[in-house]
Amino acid sequence: MQITSRKKVRRWFTKILWRHIVGIIVAIFSLFPLIWMISAAFDVTNQLSTQQLIPVHKGFDNFNALFSNEEKPYLVWVRNSLVVATTAALLQTLLGSAAAYSLSRHKFKGRAITLNAILIVQMFPQLLAATTLFLIVNSLGDTFPLLGLGHQLPLILIFTGAALGVNTWMLKGFFDTIPSDIDEAAKIDGASHAVIFTKIIIPLATPVFVVIFLLSFIGILNEYLISSVILGLDGPKMTLAVGLQQFIYGSYAKNWGPFTAGALLATIPVLTLFMVLQKYLVTGLVAGSSKG
Amino acid sequence: MIGKKRFKRNLQILLVISITILLAVAALKFLQNGSWLFASFAGITAILVARTYWLGGSVHSKYLFPGVILLIFFHIYPAIYSGQVAFTNDSNGHQLSKGQAISAILEDSLIPIEAQSPINYVITIGNSDGKVFAVFEYAGSYWAGNSQSFNKLNRDNLGFSPEGKLLAIKGYQILDESLQSDYSQELQTLSIHVNSKLILSPSDFEYLEAYQPGRIYSEKEDQITDLTTKSLYSPNDNGQMVNSSGDILYPGWKINVGFRNFTSIINNSEVRRPLLAVLLWTFINAILAVFLSFIMGLVLALVFNLAEMKSKRIYRTVFITPLAIPSVLSILVWAGLFQTSNGVINRLFHSDIPWLTDAYWAKLAILLVEVWISFPYMFLITTGAIQAISSEVIEAADIDGASNFQSFTQIKLPLVLRTVGPLLVAAGAMALNNFGIIYLLTGGGPTFSNSNGNAGATDILISYTYKLAFNSQEGNNYGLASALSILNFVLIGFLSIYGLKRIKTMEGMN
Repeated sequence: MQITSRKKVRRWFTKILWRHIVGIIVAIFSLFPLIWMISAAFDVTNQLSTQQLIPVHKGFDNFNALFSNEEKPYLVWVRNSLVVATTAALLQTLLGSAAAYSLSRHKFKGRAITLNAILIVQMFPQLLAATTLFLIVNSLGDTFPLLGLGHQLPLILIFTGAALGVNTWMLKGFFDTIPSDIDEAAKIDGASHAVIFTKIIIPLATPVFVVIFLLSFIGILNEYLISSVILGLDGPKMTLAVGLQQFIYGSYAKNWGPFTAGALLATIPVLTLFMVLQKYLVTGLVAGSSKG
Repeated sequence: MIGKKRFKRNLQILLVISITILLAVAALKFLQNGSWLFASFAGITAILVARTYWLGGSVHSKYLFPGVILLIFFHIYPAIYSGQVAFTNDSNGHQLSKGQAISAILEDSLIPIEAQSPINYVITIGNSDGKVFAVFEYAGSYWAGNSQSFNKLNRDNLGFSPEGKLLAIKGYQILDESLQSDYSQELQTLSIHVNSKLILSPSDFEYLEAYQPGRIYSEKEDQITDLTTKSLYSPNDNGQMVNSSGDILYPGWKINVGFRNFTSIINNSEVRRPLLAVLLWTFINAILAVFLSFIMGLVLALVFNLAEMKSKRIYRTVFITPLAIPSVLSILVWAGLFQTSNGVINRLFHSDIPWLTDAYWAKLAILLVEVWISFPYMFLITTGAIQAISSEVIEAADIDGASNFQSFTQIKLPLVLRTVGPLLVAAGAMALNNFGIIYLLTGGGPTFSNSNGNAGATDILISYTYKLAFNSQEGNNYGLASALSILNFVLIGFLSIYGLKRIKTMEGMN
């Protein structure tokens, strides 16, 4: 009896313990920036140089400073980001799924070509054409100021233009798994293609839509290059990604506190959503990239 | 029920018609402004919308149309347009057409005539074309003029108040004072060419100032003469007016320069030397970022692929936090942690490492952050691939007496690589354009001394292009930036095709 338990302990040491050690080291590495972000956000001394893991002087000063800074309107940036990311991600999901529905269900000439063309276009990221996107939006603005530089509408359109490349293959793959008997039956009952799409396919695919919407949303939230080119590096139209970068321009140490407070506030909702929907998002991430 | 259906159908038709009309109006507006390309695009889209949704287009086109049209205009067209811009000298000071540039040069040379007192004028809008005209009295007659035209007015068409104030002009609408400020931009650029020696231009809402030209342009000889210095300027091969002693008149204009942007990549040592270093680091960075994070992901997947370890789920959740933090934010936080003086990392290790300002340390810092961001993804896909290997295969190897190491290198690794291979190629293609990490962490710096401040030791092709196009100290160069984008397009295309072919042959061999 005693021998087997000792054996068990030894087995635990050789087989399990070192895995925990590896796990803890990697966990510290994974959480490192997040921990310091939290710590700095609540450290009222607002000094890079004196910051401790557990702040000596705790408080909400950094958050107050963040909200009262009129030169760097954090809440305006958040609103801008939400407007751009929500609209563009919604349009991306909608247009992507409409295209995927057609490619999955309708047999037409040029279907294979369309699918391949989307795959090839996807290989060339939109951000490579940032220079010409800038020139195009600049001249669009000569006629319609709302479509010009410094406005969110052209940015939303640009991101929506990437919709087919990002989502279509993944959504088509999912629609292909929905048995077409269902829509054949509906068709016999007299349902139109619009009814089949909105009343049958969309409800069945809701979880996938949520995943694609969230991944697109996070992707747009993280986009820096095209946003900064179209909206500019100052002014009230900036997105959060471009705006927060301004905090660390020049003297980093001076703005470390408010910056981390702002970063933390923006991280919490995304992190929470991600963790709650972890199962679906992880599947989506892996499936999405395997298709292209 | 039927009524509701008809209502819906009518609503749809109404929507389609209004979108068609909106696009048609946009097309006309573009045409008015001379943007014939945008005009034809809007016009064709209007026709296609009507054709697809109104006049019985096929079902599949109804679903594909909006996505495809936006893809064409905001993804494919910019890429093609890059190809066009790459053959021009489009840059700061070279964005106007030749005609616009020459009128700007002439405009700049105007010399005020002190002897001529300012002339009172009224702001009017032409009834026929809606343009702004200045109406004024000069040399005993009344005239209506703007930058394009200059007409004598018939006195019979004018109406005066008893005090002699101009009240009405046939064919023109006198602008209400409250609306004047809406037209201030038009008035600022207004200049009326009365004759070759007299140009009138508004100084405010009431008076026209008199000027004489300092330079004249002769269309026949394609030359500008400076009237004060008598110097002659002719166009050079870079879209600028230049005289015999090399003085340049600004602004220049946009011209086709053929392959010059591409040849300058090879011939101009200021472009070539930094570009070679940038290209090298673009590849090394992409390969190392993918390789290191793949190795880390694979090792972790092997370590935690143990059924009896109950806590592996918790570890998994912790490991994927880097994926769940918006990467722009985490990169900026890392930039703070890496600060040389006072940065958390240097304080933790009691070191004084110039993480972001020394060429080698900065590269290391970038790789570290890249691994931090992408190892969770690699961990997830390799875990999936390992779990997909059937246990029978592994058991069979055990029975055949394969060691752990053998079973890993001979069986597990090839099978995993086969599954994740295409994903690694895709990750590599993405890593080639890892703009965010480079730009937000080091800004591409430390800067090379021989690159005019545009390229640095950690710049990759896309960040170098961005700086040339939008952040350059010597003026933004859209032409050269587009040429580099084309180079980038070609590189990615070749690498993706090559990478995927390699994987196909590997699969064929198995």
